[in-house]
Amino acid sequence: MAMTPVKPGEEDALTDYLRGLRTRGPSPLAKLEHTHLGRFVIVKDFHNDPSWKQRREEHLDLPYLIFTSNFDGDLDSYLDELCEKLAPEAEEIWGRCVGCPEAAKGAALKAYLKHNQIDTGIFFAAYGHATVGTVKRCLRQRDGMIEFARTSQGLERAALQQAFLREFGGTG
Amino acid sequence: MSVHAAPVGPITATGTQQRNVDGQAIAITVFSTIKWWGRPFLPVLFLLTRRFPALTRILRELSFIHFARWSIVRRIPYNGPPQRKGRLRYPHMYFESNFNGGWEEYIDAFSHILTRGMTAFWGSSYGFPKPLPTAPFKKYIQDNETEADHYYSAYPEATSTIIQRALALDAKLAPLKRDAERMDPDAFAAAYRALLTDVQDCL
Amino acid sequence: MASPAVRMDLGDIQGDILRAYGNDYDCTSYAFVRIECPPQQARAWFSGLIDHVTTAEPWPEQAKPLTTLNVAVTAAGLRALGVSEQVVGSFSDVFRSGMASRSKLLGDVGPSDPATWEKGLGSGDAHVLLTINAQQTSDHQRALGKMKDAMDAAGGLRIVYQEDAELLPGSREHFGYADGFAQPAIEGTSDDKARGGGVPLKKGAWRALAPGEFILGYPDEDTRVDPKRRLPNAPVDTLGRSGTYMVWRKLYQDVALWRRVMRDAAKHYEGGDEHKLSAKVVGRWTNGAPLVKYPDTAPERYGSKAAGANDFRYGSDRDGMCCPVGAHIRRSNPRDALGFEGHLSFRHRMIRRGMPYGKALPEGVLSDDGVDRGLVFVSFQASISRQFEGVQVQWCNAGNIFGLGHDKDFLLGDPRGRGKMTIQGSPPFFLSPQEVFVRTRGGEYLFVPGITALAALADGTAG
Repeated sequence: MAMTPVKPGEEDALTDYLRGLRTRGPSPLAKLEHTHLGRFVIVKDFHNDPSWKQRREEHLDLPYLIFTSNFDGDLDSYLDELCEKLAPEAEEIWGRCVGCPEAAKGAALKAYLKHNQIDTGIFFAAYGHATVGTVKRCLRQRDGMIEFARTSQGLERAALQQAFLREFGGTG
Repeated sequence: MSVHAAPVGPITATGTQQRNVDGQAIAITVFSTIKWWGRPFLPVLFLLTRRFPALTRILRELSFIHFARWSIVRRIPYNGPPQRKGRLRYPHMYFESNFNGGWEEYIDAFSHILTRGMTAFWGSSYGFPKPLPTAPFKKYIQDNETEADHYYSAYPEATSTIIQRALALDAKLAPLKRDAERMDPDAFAAAYRALLTDVQDCL
Repeated sequence: MASPAVRMDLGDIQGDILRAYGNDYDCTSYAFVRIECPPQQARAWFSGLIDHVTTAEPWPEQAKPLTTLNVAVTAAGLRALGVSEQVVGSFSDVFRSGMASRSKLLGDVGPSDPATWEKGLGSGDAHVLLTINAQQTSDHQRALGKMKDAMDAAGGLRIVYQEDAELLPGSREHFGYADGFAQPAIEGTSDDKARGGGVPLKKGAWRALAPGEFILGYPDEDTRVDPKRRLPNAPVDTLGRSGTYMVWRKLYQDVALWRRVMRDAAKHYEGGDEHKLSAKVVGRWTNGAPLVKYPDTAPERYGSKAAGANDFRYGSDRDGMCCPVGAHIRRSNPRDALGFEGHLSFRHRMIRRGMPYGKALPEGVLSDDGVDRGLVFVSFQASISRQFEGVQVQWCNAGNIFGLGHDKDFLLGDPRGRGKMTIQGSPPFFLSPQEVFVRTRGGEYLFVPGITALAALADGTAG
């Protein structure tokens, strides 16, 4: 989880940019094939409620951009890929954050993101050992199996076997 | 091997703002301020939960969560002015989840079924009402929740349950895929029938 | 946590909600009235109307009224009666938005899109719904006549849509299935129906549901676990108390299509048994016997009102080998099927009071005769979004919570004509195509005020 302070005056532009990503085509995170799920969230401030017994309020000095991702592999490799493939977007996103290197890419960006990392306390994954590639392959296979199971009902034995081999191939 | 496009699923991501949704996946992002006793308590809770996965058994059984994460923000890394230097007065807990089905149904499940778990994780947060009754608990989550500005899923039309079943199917299908060519039609038909019976809950 | 017994003020609640009027009332008319005169004039008519509204007070067996009258209003209707915007704002968001605006969510797309609905429904023109039940046609006609006379006398009122419904023999619906008898057990009203109608507890026990799940102003299931005993959100007093929200939907059923698809699909099904395959889709045999209790053949007779008839659950049939996991009744009322002692389903119950409409398609006929027939779906619940929409969206139009991927309730059909149902078995059978068996022809979200609330609306003192 990376939590980076947004430069004063840049919050609106950053908000518009992030919210506009969906309207301009696929998410840039799609370029990072090892990403299962990811999000960008701008947190304006901590929530303080007078009815709570909190003795003193706590406020953030600036809005903060949170970026989290559920990905395959180790953090370093993921960041390497991000800092290379997301270079154009990184300019618009972290380029608007305090302390981001002039050229928001490569090793400098990676160092910046690592510096602003918040460690995860505890993590839950329903299918933690499956990579994105495996998940996608298995989903396609499941769709294929449903279609096959549905259309092959009533096929004679030899025809059934032939149809199965056509659909699922050999081990290759 | 034929290619099948992922079917576009029904609308089930209800009860939350539009930007928290990507297909079947819903994002929830919550920050809460932690009381003094949460400071030593939460790391121990996290440790125990990591060491004894049985504690997350119910979470797994509920099946509609892809990934979830809890992090404690004790200090915010410093990047120079105009960021303010200095420690935070309180620790803050960051919670995020990626799940399927309605927001209301999700919180209800946590209220009713994970009552003790909710109290363990959020009991040390300021303002936390008990998980039951559900109405004040839902209001608490809503007040502390922030809508995502951008949310992405690599497989938006797949739910966590579908993925788990697809993975299970893969494991069970592998032997038949491997042996099919070498079997005679009768043996194949029997094996296929047995397989289909075994994987019907994956389809 | 035991809650103190709740006493319901039956004289203040409209009838046919807590307890059904019963099958004696086999003719029903639903008349949607549009108010085209100023609120004061409309309220004068409304005043005369509500004198005849039937309450929930029980009547002695020999003194059943020949007809009953009940009144419900839409959000537009509240405004037409002169209720202030501020007070209308205290009603639920979903009620105020109206059913037509929820079409994508509810799956009312394609042939069920509001653009195709009956004129007068879903357009904001329906203000007041008058529901008239009668035991005999002659009384029915007389009551309808009186209603129309009162409207003509008042002036500035027009029926924008009317549906006349009639029970089919054997309390069946048009696909041929006995329907409508499994209703929620309500604490203080129908505790005797708890076995099967209530919340499934451990060791086969059941308990009735809190009345506030169905009638506003009373404790609901959340109140039961609240030390402060707070009541659920409701519109401002006097309007909120003793009232409930109503869902009204006209569902066209393509009986001929259903019969053809099931006949063709049965060719590949074990033993070619079309009756069994159809029962698998529904979860009951045509006589109403639940598959989970009678998995192989229908019992010769099934008394839906017999003691214990509704006392069944799915725990012993987790795999769906007796009653398929995606069968219609299992989806719309999962009982213990979702595990966790019913906690994922107990807050999604509805009271259903619908009626079939239109002449039956004679048995054995497989081609459409152009007759409009189907089901008027009516439900009562304290929360339209949690109870009606929750079930429609998460349990009927989707299958994920049951582990069925994106499979929808096969019986309701798929607007795109695709989709399948897995009939669990050894081996399983995959039923398809899922054609458009049911089409939404129109609907409204309404509020059913209590008796005091009706008077407040008529007096113009509702705020």
